[in-house]
Amino acid sequence: MTTLETPPTTTPTPPPPPPAMRRAGNETSRVLLKRLAGCLIGGFVLGLMVNSKEGSPDDFGFVFHQTALKPRMLIFLAIGVVIFAGITFWGYLRQHARRPGVRPLGMGILVIVVSQVVLNWYDPQTVKFNGLRKLVDKSSGLSSTTTWFFDWLSWTLVALSVVVTGAAIVTRRRVFGWVTTVLGIAGAVLAWTAHSDVLDLGGGIDHSLGAYGDVIGFLILAGAGATVALSQAEVADSRGFMTRVMEYRPGLPFAVLGAVLAAFSYARNCWFAPVNRNLDFAKTHDAYQGTDINSLASNYLGWLGWVCFVVVAVLTLAATYLRQRLLGWLAAGAALVATVLTFFSLKSMTDVAAKSVPQFGKSWNNLGAGGFTACISYGLFAAAAAYVIARPKTRAAGKSATLPVSRALEKARNSANMKALIVIALAVALFYPPMLSQYWQNVLVTQMAVYLLLAVGLNVVVGWAGLLDLGYIAFYAVGAYTTAYLTGSLPRKPPSWLHMTPLLTIPFAIVACLIAGVLLGAPTLRLRGDYLAIVTLGFGEIIQIVAQNNPGNFTNGPRGVEPPVPHPKLEIGGWKITWGLDNLPYWYLLLVMLAIVVVLFYRLENSRLGRAWAAIREDEVAAQASGVNTVRAKLLAFAIGASTSALAGTFFASQTGFFDPTQFDIFTSILIVAYVVFGGMGSLPGAMAGAAVLTWLPEFLKSQVPTDDRQMWVGALVLAMMIFRPAGLLPAKRRKAELSHLDEASPGEVSAIPRGGAM
Amino acid sequence: MIPQPLADTHDVVFDVEHITLRFGGVVSLNDVSMQMRRGEILAVIGPNGAGKTSLFNVLTGVYTPQEGRVLLRGRPGDSPVSVIGKKTHVINRLGVARTFQNIRLFPALTAIENVKVAVETRQKAGPLAAMLGMPWQRKEERDSTAAAYALMRDVGLGERGNELASSLAYGEQRRLEIARALGTNPGVLLLDEPAAGTNPQEKRELAELISRINRERNISVLLIEHDMKLVMSVADRIIVLNFGGKIAEGTPEEIQRNPAVVAAYLGTSAEDAARQATDQPELHLIDTQLEPPPTDEERSGD
Amino acid sequence: MSHQVWLHQLPHIVAANAPAANHSVDWFHQLPQNIVIGLEQGSLYALVALGYTLVYGVLQLINFAHSEVFMAGAFGSYLVVDAIVGNRHLTGAAVPLTVLAGIVSGAAVGAAVAWILEKVAYKALRRNGAPKLAFLISAIGASLFLSNLAGKLFTRVQNNAFPTYFNVNHHVFSIGSADVSLIVLIIIATAVIMMVFLDRLVNKTKLGMGIRAVAEDAPTAALMGIDIDRTISRTFIVGGALAGVAGFLFGTAFGVGNIMGFTPGVKAFAAAVLGGIGNVRGAMIGGLILGQAEVLISALPFVGAEWNDVVSFAVLVLILLVRPTGILGERLWRAA
Repeated sequence: MTTLETPPTTTPTPPPPPPAMRRAGNETSRVLLKRLAGCLIGGFVLGLMVNSKEGSPDDFGFVFHQTALKPRMLIFLAIGVVIFAGITFWGYLRQHARRPGVRPLGMGILVIVVSQVVLNWYDPQTVKFNGLRKLVDKSSGLSSTTTWFFDWLSWTLVALSVVVTGAAIVTRRRVFGWVTTVLGIAGAVLAWTAHSDVLDLGGGIDHSLGAYGDVIGFLILAGAGATVALSQAEVADSRGFMTRVMEYRPGLPFAVLGAVLAAFSYARNCWFAPVNRNLDFAKTHDAYQGTDINSLASNYLGWLGWVCFVVVAVLTLAATYLRQRLLGWLAAGAALVATVLTFFSLKSMTDVAAKSVPQFGKSWNNLGAGGFTACISYGLFAAAAAYVIARPKTRAAGKSATLPVSRALEKARNSANMKALIVIALAVALFYPPMLSQYWQNVLVTQMAVYLLLAVGLNVVVGWAGLLDLGYIAFYAVGAYTTAYLTGSLPRKPPSWLHMTPLLTIPFAIVACLIAGVLLGAPTLRLRGDYLAIVTLGFGEIIQIVAQNNPGNFTNGPRGVEPPVPHPKLEIGGWKITWGLDNLPYWYLLLVMLAIVVVLFYRLENSRLGRAWAAIREDEVAAQASGVNTVRAKLLAFAIGASTSALAGTFFASQTGFFDPTQFDIFTSILIVAYVVFGGMGSLPGAMAGAAVLTWLPEFLKSQVPTDDRQMWVGALVLAMMIFRPAGLLPAKRRKAELSHLDEASPGEVSAIPRGGAM
Repeated sequence: MIPQPLADTHDVVFDVEHITLRFGGVVSLNDVSMQMRRGEILAVIGPNGAGKTSLFNVLTGVYTPQEGRVLLRGRPGDSPVSVIGKKTHVINRLGVARTFQNIRLFPALTAIENVKVAVETRQKAGPLAAMLGMPWQRKEERDSTAAAYALMRDVGLGERGNELASSLAYGEQRRLEIARALGTNPGVLLLDEPAAGTNPQEKRELAELISRINRERNISVLLIEHDMKLVMSVADRIIVLNFGGKIAEGTPEEIQRNPAVVAAYLGTSAEDAARQATDQPELHLIDTQLEPPPTDEERSGD
Repeated sequence: MSHQVWLHQLPHIVAANAPAANHSVDWFHQLPQNIVIGLEQGSLYALVALGYTLVYGVLQLINFAHSEVFMAGAFGSYLVVDAIVGNRHLTGAAVPLTVLAGIVSGAAVGAAVAWILEKVAYKALRRNGAPKLAFLISAIGASLFLSNLAGKLFTRVQNNAFPTYFNVNHHVFSIGSADVSLIVLIIIATAVIMMVFLDRLVNKTKLGMGIRAVAEDAPTAALMGIDIDRTISRTFIVGGALAGVAGFLFGTAFGVGNIMGFTPGVKAFAAAVLGGIGNVRGAMIGGLILGQAEVLISALPFVGAEWNDVVSFAVLVLILLVRPTGILGERLWRAA
């Protein structure tokens, strides 16, 4: 959304068109007609996409008749017309659209629409807003505001807010802004009470996010109203506003967010969730009265939990407000201690419950989200503290001699941001998955986890060295089969001294992939980009067919591995960890692998090899002329990328136990390239984000659209992403620079892609 | 004219003998021979398409000539090696660094990173050491940063290290390219039209920089340049190419009077040019004086 | 998503290949027949490869969605032919006219889809000056979208046979021991005509000159008054029409399905690279060589049809190792 608009403050107003341009009236009408046709076709295609019909081999025209020739298509054509009008009259809308408050209004409405259309509202029945409306209508014993809210009130509030804010923006009457604020707050309160009302009646476990999203959306609406009412500016400066908020006291926003989240989890969230019962913190304390939980947990439930919260919150808020480094360290330490205390209390609680009332679920499955939310909020506190530690008051002015002050400040800000984000990401990665349902935990481990690793590995090859490798999946297959061989799951058994447990096979898998990488790379890396693409594609295809055809009875062909690859286990001294059928432990195993890989790769990116890769990617001839051994550097990129996929292969093989050659098809290989580019080529967080989003999306869409249509939506999203944000979700710093300087390419430089516009 | 045979062949950096380079039917270099002496600034001039850049590409291993041989003694004391068939980066490590006619920096890297890429090609630490953050790797990293900063200061870009290469001004990019070339510790530096697109002030600075590099670092410089003022002011000797063949070689003074050169530049026959030269001996067909530095008045004017 | 196993699974080829796998004597015995089959496959590869190579010529990009253009042409011509044939039994001149209608409609649909594809997936990115890989990914997105939209609209079942309005396996004539069936004849004849047509188009017409000029040096071509946008757009249309025709021919021979484009697309891309990508005649030669190599080598007694795809890529790699820019080389060679 933001990418389409340049920041308002820096955009000069375009000069009025010269008279000569207006004269070409028929030219303009042609453009308009083209645009209208494009928008109508777009609407039509959208209409074809949004429906539940599926084609049948008996009649290829069936879906077309059912969708295109029905009146509902008019709605989509109307959407096309609206978009057409929006583009055409953008010049007129623009001056109003840039007023303060418009962006938050749009954001709030977006959040509300997503909450009320897409998100789940009530877990026990797995219904969304609309479904819950029907349930509410059928139930008795709910207050009438609840019924109203679901029936008409919420949408009316949204519509009213839009109308009133629009009026405020056009007429410049501040009072309208305040009306929107009141409407927003009312909406938030209503959404909260209505949902609580439903929960009180239904009394089920509820992990659904709909109501919370709705509340946040309405609060943003309220904020939009306040912005309209309060702001004096003609043109919105959202970025400037955000910067001011974040820079007022670095870290303070995180501390406040953490405090809100923690207060919510202690006061309201469910801590212990045996079947059909939701116990909040206080009730959990009552429930554990008289059980044999350890004293830590009983004290935690009684008073220690609240004390942890208060101490950490006060320390962090004070530290961020006063910008004292010592206080920052204290706050970070306190947050860590609080997290540890919370974790061990939770462990005691869940173990006791699992033992005494096994029907409520196994260990870690009988807890509510509260404890984990609390842990995440401590992560937020720690992140806030990290800001203070990185940027205390005294260091606000730069003291680096080589850098100008503004750059020093920017550098400090970036490093502080990075530290805080790492802390938060770690907290979420550690404590969010336990809150997920079994289904999503399974998705997390079987879909996302492997592709996260693969995307990080491929990013080395594609993002850093700029080599288009379309057959990356082959190395993954090599890794998986190496593990299967060494654990004795293939027809050919390894010699007994080589027979080992899955985790021990990692070095062997890495070596196997290194060899495969060098074998493929050595002859082919002197080929230019597109030739390399097809050769790697072929290599990927060949590996799959080889596995399929089972030469020498090594891979067992399409029957897949048998017996299954054993689950990993680890014994260090007397300390023993075994992984079994539960998904969650694999997530933590992966997290360790991923953390190691990311740290190593981060260092590599900023080493001489990383720079050599960047140089080759940017200009191979110049890199050679500067003495870079390009073939060696490319080979290293191939080998290092391949070894990462070995790790993924081992993980995958030992987690699923069974696999067959169809899992290593070329199409998946191309998808991994898409993950990397979608997330932002050359950026580690980008590659991970791309993989996470694009593996999450199909699973998410499962409940939204017919299952078979998922790939279609993913394809449409990837396409749209590349059109509107070609640098990806989280672009790399270096790549962003490339893009922004394409317009001013130095003379004589022939850009790879001829750009439009003849003379 | 026939060049005098060099007394001490150990002082020869490039010994080029009868190279011929063809692309399909087009002869880009035709039986060119030349010798470049240690420590000199040798300029190669000639009209567009004369084969100057092709000569550079042969010397740096980008193109392989069909005939002839090229011997290189990159750094003082090196024994001669043949350039033919060697990869560009190998030749670079033998002490040959170059810049490009159309600037070829790594635009998305910062200026300092551009230089570090070159400096680091002589380092040892591998990827494993980098991933594990070994102390010797860290030391190398610090060394390369220091060396790169020193070079940046040397070419007058000390303040601009953290800017992206693509955001530097045109003249600065030219100097950054020279700094990057120096980063590989060359014995000979090949500059391909370093003054193209720069203003008179920058040209003066460039001439000064080239002489300084040559003098202080004892680096031999092979220079392609169209700007005659610059060439005449810095070059010790000049070679003239036309249509892929060498038509003249000598000191700047000799070249200015050489009828074949004048003919090549003016498009007249050598006889006409020779007659002109003898008729008007004081006439220098090629303007050789660099513009004087602006006076204070001029400076305050702009 | 797994791609379907292609040619070697289909009846009339399996019939030709199966005995060949037994004895080496049979390989020679089957050689003429296999050459005909190789010619048939190679013609199809070449038609699709031309689209890759044309687009590569003007944009230096692999148009990954080209295989979906092929698929769209097959479905488009299927709908037209189905509407014409219905439940009737065609006789006489109606049969060749229907084939012609199939070719024309395949070309039209292919051209239309390719044109829209260029507008949606490439033009905006070109305007933004996106990095090269972004084009590739947008094409992959478009490919995913198109093949699944076709699956949703028509069917996700593969290998749907065209309505039978003539006997595709009808024996026409024999050359030595090689039998030439009607469909093989139609495929080879159409492909040859299309290729001659394209060769003249590229080398003789104004549009062809524009395409070559843009391929050689786009900025200079723009300075010479060539409308780059329009040339690129028309290049897509020409390539799309060829792929659409190939889609019709392929569909008639082997049936249609929403992921029918993937494997032929990859092979055709390999063929384009084999001949020297960006080089029009190279794509034709590459397609024919790849088709022959695949059939002849996998018919060898010690290889077997299941190594079909491996063979084609092995041939590609071997040739690229000897000639890094393909057999005929790139016309648009950019030296350092």
